[in-house]
Amino acid sequence: MINAINTQNTENLKWVLYNMKIEDISKDTEQLITIEPDDLIPLPYPYDDPANEPPMKQLTEEQKARYEASLDGIIAIGIPKPSSKEEEEGFVKKFISGLEKLLTPENNWTFLQPLYHSLEYCVKCQICNDSCPAYIASGKKEIYRPTFRAEVLRKIINKYLKKKNRLLLKLTGSDIDLNWTLVARLGELAYRCTICRKCAQVCPLGVDNGLISHEIRKIFSQEMGIAPKELHELGTMQQLKGGSSTGITPKALGNIIEFMEEEIEEKTGKKIKMPVDKEGAEILLIHNAGEFISWPENTEAFAIIFEAAGIDWTLSSDLVGYDAVNYGVWYDDIQLARIAVKHAEIARKLKVKKINVGECGHAHKAMIVVADRVLTGELNIPRESALPLLQELVCNGKIKLDPSRNNFPVTLHDPCNMVRLMGIVEPQRRILRTICPQFKEMEPHGVENYCCGGGSGFAIMQSMNFPDWRSAVSGRIKLKQILEVFQDVISPEIKKYVCAPCSNCKGQIRELFNYYNVNEKCGIFYGGLVELVVNAMVDIKKPFIDWEWH
Amino acid sequence: MAKATLGGMEIEIDEDGFIQEPGKWNQAIAEDLAKVEQAYPMSEEHWKIVNYLRDYYLKYEIAPPIRMLVKQTGFDLKKIYQLFPSGPAKGACKIAGLPKPTGCV
Repeated sequence: MINAINTQNTENLKWVLYNMKIEDISKDTEQLITIEPDDLIPLPYPYDDPANEPPMKQLTEEQKARYEASLDGIIAIGIPKPSSKEEEEGFVKKFISGLEKLLTPENNWTFLQPLYHSLEYCVKCQICNDSCPAYIASGKKEIYRPTFRAEVLRKIINKYLKKKNRLLLKLTGSDIDLNWTLVARLGELAYRCTICRKCAQVCPLGVDNGLISHEIRKIFSQEMGIAPKELHELGTMQQLKGGSSTGITPKALGNIIEFMEEEIEEKTGKKIKMPVDKEGAEILLIHNAGEFISWPENTEAFAIIFEAAGIDWTLSSDLVGYDAVNYGVWYDDIQLARIAVKHAEIARKLKVKKINVGECGHAHKAMIVVADRVLTGELNIPRESALPLLQELVCNGKIKLDPSRNNFPVTLHDPCNMVRLMGIVEPQRRILRTICPQFKEMEPHGVENYCCGGGSGFAIMQSMNFPDWRSAVSGRIKLKQILEVFQDVISPEIKKYVCAPCSNCKGQIRELFNYYNVNEKCGIFYGGLVELVVNAMVDIKKPFIDWEWH
Repeated sequence: MAKATLGGMEIEIDEDGFIQEPGKWNQAIAEDLAKVEQAYPMSEEHWKIVNYLRDYYLKYEIAPPIRMLVKQTGFDLKKIYQLFPSGPAKGACKIAGLPKPTGCV
């Protein structure tokens, strides 16, 4: 214990002595930090030679000239450089007015309370440092430290909103210059945090630095009109207009449902008609529509299980009703509210008893938790996670299962929004303990898990060199955990399965595995939870899991 | 938005090279895109996939699930990657003039 405290103190001291200062963020330097392959934390076998680390894509001179890239040489948003002094000043002004709004109850009634708490109560103990996947994996780059963004924000608030005495600010080390560079870098920096909230989990005071990133993103979107294209224009806007961020229209959905029914029959011999728009059903099941395109075996498996268990359920073919995603939860309260209301209205129109959210983490957060602030009166329809229901079906013998069908190594990834945020920890584990004889936990797990590295929209953000950062930095600890748990069966001949019951996490794990060629080198595959359940079903002759597709 | 000359025509593309005006697509544009995606020269097999994607897109305004592509064309995933080394979405869909996939796919 004493040793641990000493190590922590030495770490803190090192941090004070050698690291950059917070106010350096507004200095006109070419780039605040650089990430070298040697800085990254080492990975286990067969990635233990840093010389084999794939080189991260560098930005072209043209990209650097056009967009803000002076934070870490990575571009997530692509904030265009200003072309005039007026533009520069207008940008800063808008930021300040957005920050002011963030701190008033009439403009931020959704999140002001936890924001205020997080801004006022942090004692800078730095206990949260070791919980941040990006900070740790990057070799402890100062700008990724969980409290860094909040410290910048506090300094701006003290000087420019509270207008504290300048001399006092200087003496207490609270001075900072507000300029275009600072604002643009802070905007990018809000997209180096996956909002996994592991830092909030370990904070003795309940300070939520993930929320700080979220609130900065809100200023950018709601006040300045700046957000990653994948989240806004192609995300929430496309979903509200055309029905889904994937671009699936109701007509395309009909075609895909037919296809899934055919697949179910071919694979299982069962003739299942997926119920669509069934009025008065007990459950409206809403999937992340990405599943229909990339992982239809997941939505097929849900249908097989629900039918076998005699559940009264339906899908919706209404615009937005077949896509559980709500990217607003990551960057914009107004977009979040628009989509949440749409989901609730569809459920009300169908007269279902409740909404059940499929294997999608952020949709759990948006629809079940955050939407509570928006859905009142008739719109406040019961909204539940699919995981406890699945547990009931699997563990209470409602479906006949033969665990020996899943006799291969399996580990479980905990999606942050279901597990840490909502406390849905045990159902998925009870299922795996029941149907996977070789199930083994990765460390740490449960509410102490590490993010897949694709949280808060990262898994779908494709801008310039951002995907490389997402694999090499924010996803690195997850890869390390996966390799560690399978270390004794790491040979590629032994097929292994990472169960990730979340579309976003699956997308990230797929990209991570491609980046490091994990399939081929280690024989590790990934997929959802329901696929493993169907794979163990006694009355299905052929294996349901088709390894080629995982 | 950047512009590129494809099939002898100036056409808008995004930063990953997906054409932004799907209506302007033609075979010459496809062949020029195929050169960038290491899928050139285009064989009958290439065209079978590209035409399938194109037809599906014109009908449903979206790319089909990859499993559907595999089933309808009779090529397995491995074969598709042999024909289009950058994969069905980043390779084949791009050549077929479809917009870049969006959402959690």
